[in-house]
Amino acid sequence: MNLAERIQHFLLIGTFFILIVTGLPVFFYDIKFLKPLFSPEKSFYIRGIIHRVAAVVMILNLVWHILYTIFTKRGRDNFKEMIPKFKDIRDAFEIFWHHAGLTRFLNRKGILKNFFTRYPYWLFENPPQYGRYNFIEKFEYWAVGWGSFVMIVSGFLMWKVELSLSLFPLWVHDIFIILHGYEAILAFLAVIIWHMYNVHLNPEVFPMSKIWLNGKITGKELRVLHPLEYQKILEERQKVLESS
Amino acid sequence: MKFLKIPFFVLLLCILFTFFLAATTNEDCMVCHEDPDLKTDDQKSLYVDYAKYVSSIHGDAGFSCTDCHTDLSGIEDFPHPEKLEPVTCRTCHEKAYEEFQKSAHSQATPEEDCCAVSCKDCHGTHDIKGKEDYDSRVFPLNLPHTCETCHLEKVQTERGGEFIKRYEMSIHYKGLEKAGLATSSNCSNCHGAHDVRHVHDPDSRVSRKNIIRTCGTCHMGIERDYLEGIHGKDYVKGLNDVPVCTDCHSEHDITSPQDLSSTVYATKVAEVCSRCHDDETLSRQYGFITERLKTYSSSFHGTASRFGETRVANCASCHGFHDIRPSSDPKSMIHPDNLPETCGKCHAGAGSNFAKGKIHVVSEKATNKWAYFVKTFYIIMIACIVFVFLAFISVDILHRVFRRRKKA
Repeated sequence: MNLAERIQHFLLIGTFFILIVTGLPVFFYDIKFLKPLFSPEKSFYIRGIIHRVAAVVMILNLVWHILYTIFTKRGRDNFKEMIPKFKDIRDAFEIFWHHAGLTRFLNRKGILKNFFTRYPYWLFENPPQYGRYNFIEKFEYWAVGWGSFVMIVSGFLMWKVELSLSLFPLWVHDIFIILHGYEAILAFLAVIIWHMYNVHLNPEVFPMSKIWLNGKITGKELRVLHPLEYQKILEERQKVLESS
Repeated sequence: MKFLKIPFFVLLLCILFTFFLAATTNEDCMVCHEDPDLKTDDQKSLYVDYAKYVSSIHGDAGFSCTDCHTDLSGIEDFPHPEKLEPVTCRTCHEKAYEEFQKSAHSQATPEEDCCAVSCKDCHGTHDIKGKEDYDSRVFPLNLPHTCETCHLEKVQTERGGEFIKRYEMSIHYKGLEKAGLATSSNCSNCHGAHDVRHVHDPDSRVSRKNIIRTCGTCHMGIERDYLEGIHGKDYVKGLNDVPVCTDCHSEHDITSPQDLSSTVYATKVAEVCSRCHDDETLSRQYGFITERLKTYSSSFHGTASRFGETRVANCASCHGFHDIRPSSDPKSMIHPDNLPETCGKCHAGAGSNFAKGKIHVVSEKATNKWAYFVKTFYIIMIACIVFVFLAFISVDILHRVFRRRKKA
């Protein structure tokens, strides 16, 4: 990750955290222990200001990212790698059954032996090989994209409620509020469960890869986690060596 | 002019004579009673501060001792009998006496010595001043302290001294004490003076029957609004469940709605209204919808209000306060035709779209199908996605556990 990408990621972390902290209590208004958080006078008002400032920063970050993706070569290349392919679905399917190991278990017990000897693919002996971005990373990237779209549109119309209600009837505005709340819950759970496990808690990477801090992935990480990308880089280097 | 001189002279003579007579009598009394150590056998002081008496309303008007202590008027041999008849004020103050006879004070059980109240307990004895006099015990600014001398500790009323003391936190007391407003309500403005009655007495000024009129004595415009609203209309019908002033505003400790401690402070209004409007029994009896607090709280207005934001709409912002009307009334603030104006108080340029939807959403399923669909869709989607996440994570962990076991 180059510096621009790392700053974008840091800004995303910061604004996401602030938005969650200042937003979720409003969704869970019924929980009593959250109330003292906003007990000082005007604190709810200040909460609103902070929430919107963070939102604006997040939007600017998104705009920067889009411009970066369009106007730099690296951005365009990354984007091409990020496009979901059929392989990603297959990867997800294969890694799941590889980890589950159910078919290998059945094979050992002699169940469906003929089927497995004829179609050894279904034993999922080897995990799938990932390229530059695996299906988990692609899923997260596009989830952020979709989530940002929903949150920005619904959030803006909640911010400018007079504008919203000059365009839509109240019952539509109510849907924006529901969307904003539930999409936030979804994003929060995705980050807490999926992202945190995959980049931190997973024993394979624990405590974490340093790529988001210094931009560098280690050779081992690249070889084990992104073998196709490793090979690609290897081949490119080979070519450069041969031509020179 | 000569014919005027004779009656004038006679009049002057008369006045001088009376004065002379009175002065003599009072002096006679003071020979003994000016001694501060003069006491009865049981150590009760018999001292009379003559200077105070002279400056009192009665002394100033030239009353003699025997005008009140009437059983001494014929006596010429002094010292007089030790036990005198109690002074009765009735002779001159007939109206006050009659009112007092009907009051809770006069009906106070005489066997409990503490509770037998007579004129002097509130007005004083020799030092009685006119009620306009700053030093009078019943001067508006002094009256609360006069009542408190008994009601804080000595005489425990039904709700105790603490309840009485709470008056000192009220806007009414602040009006008296800080702003020096003699017109601000003191005890007697609400409870009556000579005719003060027990709160449970239907004829009491603070009974349900009379409280609206009592508060309306000063808050006339509010009384008018109240009587025009749905609460007032039901109140006139004699319904006992309808709220009167004190049900929302509290009693002794009434504070300004801007005061954080007020029961009708912006963020507390919803609580006050929902005491009745979330009550199942009342709602069935009078046919209104419950779950007002819940549905309000789930809206942004309610949520913000719960977190202490005062500028968002509370019940009163949309429904009005004293003249609350049902939405079917064309004058109601929440009549569909009036909603743009009502919402427009905060949301500048509010149009008819504000009326196209429900504010209090009891059931999304019934009132907003699309919202219900979106919500259900999201809940199912979140559940599915989290399930998939957990499935992937658990097989990953499972795999690692098995692999480690194999290695070992």
